[in-house]
Amino acid sequence: MSDTTSTTAAIPATATSRRPRNRALARFARHRLALFGLCAIVALVFGCAAGPYLIAYNDLHIDIMHRFALPFSGPHILGTDQLGRDMLARLMMAGRVSLTVGFAAMLLSTVFGTLIGTIAGYFGGIVGTALMRFVDAVLCFPTIFLLLALAAFVQPTLFSITLVIAATAWMEVARVVEAQIRTLRERDFALAAEALGASDAYIMFRELIPNAIAPIVVASTLNVARAILLESYVSFLGYGIQPPTPSWGNMLNNAQEFLVSAPWLAILPGLLITLAVTGFNFLGDGLRDALDPRLDI
Amino acid sequence: MTDESFRDASLPGGRILSGVSRRQLLAAGIGAGTAGLILPAGARAQGKPPAHPKGHAIIGFSQEPTVFNPLMPHIEVDQGVHWNLFSPLWSANEKGEFLPQLAMEVPTIANGGISKDGLTWHVKLRPGVKWHDGAPFTADDVKYTFDLINNKKFRAWLRNGFSLMQDIKVISPTEISWKMGKPYAPFASILCWTFMVPQHVLAKASDPNTAPFNNAPVGTGPFMWKERVPGDHITLTANPHFFGTGPYLEEIVFKYIPDLTVMFTQFQTGAIDYIGLQGITADHYKQAKALKDRTIVVGPAPFIESITLNLSKPQFKERAVREALYYAMDNQAIIDQIYYGLPKPSTTILPSQSWAYNPNLPKQVHDPKKAKAILDAAGWKPGAGGVREKNGVQLAFTNSTTAGNHVREEAQQLLQQNWQDIGVKMTIKNMPAAVIWGDYFNLSHYDSVMVGEDFMTGPDPDVTVYFDSNATPAKGGSGQNTMEYNNPEVDKLLLQGATTFDRPVRQKIYWKLAELIRHDLPELPIFQYATIEGTKKGLVGYIPSVYVSCNTWNVNTWYWTS
Amino acid sequence: MTRFLLRRLGQSLVLLWLVSVIGFAVLHLAPGGPLSQFTLTPGMTAAQLKLIAHQLGLDRPLPVQYWEWFSRMLVGNWGRSYRDSQPVLLVIGAHIWPTLELMVSSTIIAILLGTWVGVLGAIRRYSLFDYLATVGAMVALSIPTFWFGLVVIYIFSVKLGWLPAGNLYTIGNGSLLDYLHHLIAPSLVLALVTIAIWSRYMRAAMLEVINQDYVRTARAKGLPERMILIRHTIRNALLPMITIAGLQLPTLLSGALVTETVFTWPGMGRLFLDSISYRDYPVIMGVLMFTAVLVLVGNLFADVLYAVADPRIRLD
Repeated sequence: MSDTTSTTAAIPATATSRRPRNRALARFARHRLALFGLCAIVALVFGCAAGPYLIAYNDLHIDIMHRFALPFSGPHILGTDQLGRDMLARLMMAGRVSLTVGFAAMLLSTVFGTLIGTIAGYFGGIVGTALMRFVDAVLCFPTIFLLLALAAFVQPTLFSITLVIAATAWMEVARVVEAQIRTLRERDFALAAEALGASDAYIMFRELIPNAIAPIVVASTLNVARAILLESYVSFLGYGIQPPTPSWGNMLNNAQEFLVSAPWLAILPGLLITLAVTGFNFLGDGLRDALDPRLDI
Repeated sequence: MTDESFRDASLPGGRILSGVSRRQLLAAGIGAGTAGLILPAGARAQGKPPAHPKGHAIIGFSQEPTVFNPLMPHIEVDQGVHWNLFSPLWSANEKGEFLPQLAMEVPTIANGGISKDGLTWHVKLRPGVKWHDGAPFTADDVKYTFDLINNKKFRAWLRNGFSLMQDIKVISPTEISWKMGKPYAPFASILCWTFMVPQHVLAKASDPNTAPFNNAPVGTGPFMWKERVPGDHITLTANPHFFGTGPYLEEIVFKYIPDLTVMFTQFQTGAIDYIGLQGITADHYKQAKALKDRTIVVGPAPFIESITLNLSKPQFKERAVREALYYAMDNQAIIDQIYYGLPKPSTTILPSQSWAYNPNLPKQVHDPKKAKAILDAAGWKPGAGGVREKNGVQLAFTNSTTAGNHVREEAQQLLQQNWQDIGVKMTIKNMPAAVIWGDYFNLSHYDSVMVGEDFMTGPDPDVTVYFDSNATPAKGGSGQNTMEYNNPEVDKLLLQGATTFDRPVRQKIYWKLAELIRHDLPELPIFQYATIEGTKKGLVGYIPSVYVSCNTWNVNTWYWTS
Repeated sequence: MTRFLLRRLGQSLVLLWLVSVIGFAVLHLAPGGPLSQFTLTPGMTAAQLKLIAHQLGLDRPLPVQYWEWFSRMLVGNWGRSYRDSQPVLLVIGAHIWPTLELMVSSTIIAILLGTWVGVLGAIRRYSLFDYLATVGAMVALSIPTFWFGLVVIYIFSVKLGWLPAGNLYTIGNGSLLDYLHHLIAPSLVLALVTIAIWSRYMRAAMLEVINQDYVRTARAKGLPERMILIRHTIRNALLPMITIAGLQLPTLLSGALVTETVFTWPGMGRLFLDSISYRDYPVIMGVLMFTAVLVLVGNLFADVLYAVADPRIRLD
């Protein structure tokens, strides 16, 4: 009797008393960087969504006589750009575009890539081969060619650009996931689940993917950065969002000429991109730690 | 470079000077107008060119020259290289004056080179000229060049005028004549840009379109082909047997630098000696002026920046609308603020340096109140969203230009705001160059474009290709009148201008033409381009010209003073 | 293994053919063409443009044009560039060495530095080094290559004069030292993003491995930490990196493209960008097929290497 009570007392209360979801949340809450990331993202999203309504200046109003006003030196808190437009207003409106594109494209590419990779890695055989060759085929086309192809047939809108960027990023996720799933498929826990009669879907989504979460999270956080910057690359190639709509990417692009004469035109959007990317990265780290089943033991 | 007496004897008028070299006299300003070979002002002022070619110059271009057969389709930087490898029968200097090159004199009606009816041409060629490989240049080469252009299987660049040639006769190795089917006044200017190619090299190739000559060209120009590293640079060396002035440089290198900002940086660090097409951007001008040891030159270019309208679109059919749009544009702000005051305002289609330029046209005025009044009077009332409309047509349109041209995009956005202030909605729709200048432009799919165009035919003010009503490709015409501009009086004037050889008469015609076009406003001119280019201090001889496509037309006169 | 390789070869050939068809169709159906560059030439007429298009064979039906290009390509004639009328293979050959130089040097730097940073960050998780490395990686990923290149040129070329402002070599001086001097800045700039990516994946892979049972066993056995690191953890962590490495090959073009532009490097990326700008169809198709072959070979190599290194994988 005393043995059982002592053994029961030795087991940590958290492991038995709470549900897995709560344990995951608890782990996340303990991850300070992840909280910082979450706060950063929330601040950026809120700032970009509500900010433009709160400040006096319009992001589109051109005041050609007051170009290149320095930040912190006048009525425009962050200065003005090459057409005299308020930088703060433009940065916030640009954030709407970049955060939407970055997050949406990342989500699309991660989900699609993970799906393809998991199915291909799990089933193998003809299905797996066909899917991976499909991935190879799309990888054969350089990004700029994919952009040419897609841009030739659709008008550059927020939606189409998100699709285009997602279409160039999912292949890496698919290949990484497929390699991982192929390894994990042969592991004991997967074989055990199969022996127990679990369905394919259960094994894929509840056993394999959670164990492959690490590279998926890395890939998706990298893809956010890539997506935001790819939007700048797309503008550089001539298929971007039309002026005067700002995005952090095209603001960076247009600021090339002014590297020496007005560096804040590039530094400000650059800082915000860094903040967003860093925030997503720490968020991703926290998510991975929270969702990793091995840390549950 | 060694045979000075040979060169002196070959000049028209054959002046042989003993003791003093001709070049030294010219450098002192004497005889500047003799023999039609004029040294640039810079050379006269600073030192004198070396007796033998010395040193090398690295010329920076932001586009890559890839076409070395001057008769094939090419872009501006290609012509920049052609000027140094090849020679035309005669060329135009920066003042528009014709200078004989391979011809002994420029044929005119006055000197009998052209018959009174303009139909028979007779050209005397310069004797003793050699191709780079040593073979003699003769009239056969000239005939071969003309025949090649007219060869239907050959991808010729332009055929304007050449298709009218008949009966090309080689009278002697230094004399050639031909007949024209119709009098065509611009032809002398077209020949300014037509370089002669060697028959003995090109005729040997089975297909002139892909001949080895295209990558190992042989010409009569001041420099000879040395080597090309694809995607990087082209090296030319001095031609010791050049018949004209110079060359004073041993070697010139055309370096391709794909980005304008990067090219400017290389100019700053001295990796290139001359920053050429597309030059220094207006945003870098101040920085450039502050550079030590660099000479920055702001020169004129033949391009007119304008908003070109598609007159077949319902919004633009009324002249009142076009006039109102023009009043609403703050062109001075564009010139002063966005372009730092460097280009000159323009309201017409020819550069101000052209002899046919009309200086008496009404200036553009920025008057949004007047614009609104005109639109109100014409029945365009503000409707949904503040956008004016009339009879169900909204005064809204798209404006397109090459994506990636940041300075132009700034001007577009300013105009967008200008027009928004008078109730007109302009949406920006930019695309990459390959897309916009394809069918979108040629077949008049656009509403409006913002473009810099050179409407002249080479150095000639004939603008038929752009303004004749039969020149609309969308309607089956054969020119470039993508605006679908149709004015019968303009058509008449264009025809007169192209068939008269008398310059004062032509000038009157083109002045009247400019008045009509200024009144009709099929396109809304903003400014005439200014090129901002520069050289290292000590490299003299550079002169910008509106009569060429690329300012390396006179590198044979460039040299280092230090 | 042989059967696997043969099967992959067959699949790759089919893929290459598909890529060629799709690529050709997209290229020719996209708006604009090789004659757009001549539209604004003074004096140019639509009739002249039409004639040139006809002379280039562009007004023939697409399948006819495709068949001509494809059948010639199979026997080694990849066509001639519309711009300098040089054979496409020659053009590609002239541009490939600079890109190779850049890619090899930057990849070596990236893998070495990235592995070191990733491993160290994993071992010393949440230490100052790890934080700095993470933030550094984030910053590196947030800066567009073009910008970084411009800043590097501004600081090290214009202001300090230590490094040249781009170019493959100084014209007139083709010594090895000169080449290396010019290689420093572009390969570091190109390596920057790869270091960031590589270190992030490496760190994640290391963290996976470090918590494995066999590592705990090795530690319990009393093996020195260094040996555990090298023999057990890094080797196993490198396995998934093989896939990542294989994926770097396709980025050969896109990544290098921007670096080649800002450093005036006459490589494949720049060739591809220019060819697309001018719609030089033969060269674009040539580079596309070339890239496709590289991608397929790279992925095949990665898959085989992975299977060889990890006995748990079976190639099917």
